Amino acid sequence: MSLLGADIAFWTLAAVAVASAVVVVLVRETMRMALGLGTLLLATAGLFVYFGAGFLAAAQVFVYVGGVLVLLIFAIMVTRRSGEGVPRLSSRHDPVTFLMCAMLSGAAGWLLLRDVPPAAAGRVSGGPEAVAAAFLGPMVGQFELLGVLLLAALVAVISVVGGERR
Amino acid sequence: MTPLVALCMSLFGVGFYGVLSRREIIGVLASIEIMLASANILLVGLARLGGAPAVDGGRVEAVGMTILVVAAAEAAVGLALLIAAVRRSGRQDVEEFMEVQG
Repeated sequence: MSLLGADIAFWTLAAVAVASAVVVVLVRETMRMALGLGTLLLATAGLFVYFGAGFLAAAQVFVYVGGVLVLLIFAIMVTRRSGEGVPRLSSRHDPVTFLMCAMLSGAAGWLLLRDVPPAAAGRVSGGPEAVAAAFLGPMVGQFELLGVLLLAALVAVISVVGGERR
Repeated sequence: MTPLVALCMSLFGVGFYGVLSRREIIGVLASIEIMLASANILLVGLARLGGAPAVDGGRVEAVGMTILVVAAAEAAVGLALLIAAVRRSGRQDVEEFMEVQG
């Protein structure tokens, strides 16, 4: 990909990501919020591809878009009361909150740019084989802990939701 | 580097504003997902732009997948709590649950 094409791809994906994040935060209809979140997650996968992490991009689509987003839509359907019209979302818009978030993000960005060394060419992805070698090699403890975390989350979900039935 | 940091901090700021401003739990959860996505993009992007050698590429993607799995587990537990809260009170307004009862 030429440098111009790479820049166009990055800025397009960045614009889509920020626009869909704004949609998630501001929109009043729940399903539109879910669609905005899905668009953001797809743009994130596109950015992973741009940075050369193709395997991570595929995992992002499978797990996040195909799993978490569908779970979110299920939760919207389950929590919607019968007889209710289109589910509505509301927000407490406050200029002080906006200013605080902007200042926090700006300060974090400034600190990152101050401390991170200048860009140099590099690659991220070694492919699925490299990920597998990492998970089953130096990061095997982390890999096992992820399994424990998922099991704990599964048990927590069943105990929270299943325990409500009488 | 600057455009990447600007993108990620913008996403983080938007997500943070959503967490603070949304009245419904589902809106807060979606905003948290925005913040997690921004952190993941920053991690992978800094590894790419910071010159990570190819031999470490597997580790970078593995850490990114770790964040992915943690975010998925957090979303699952958060949505389960949302369903339980709506079953108990019939509403999902965050301010309904400001007081913790023993």
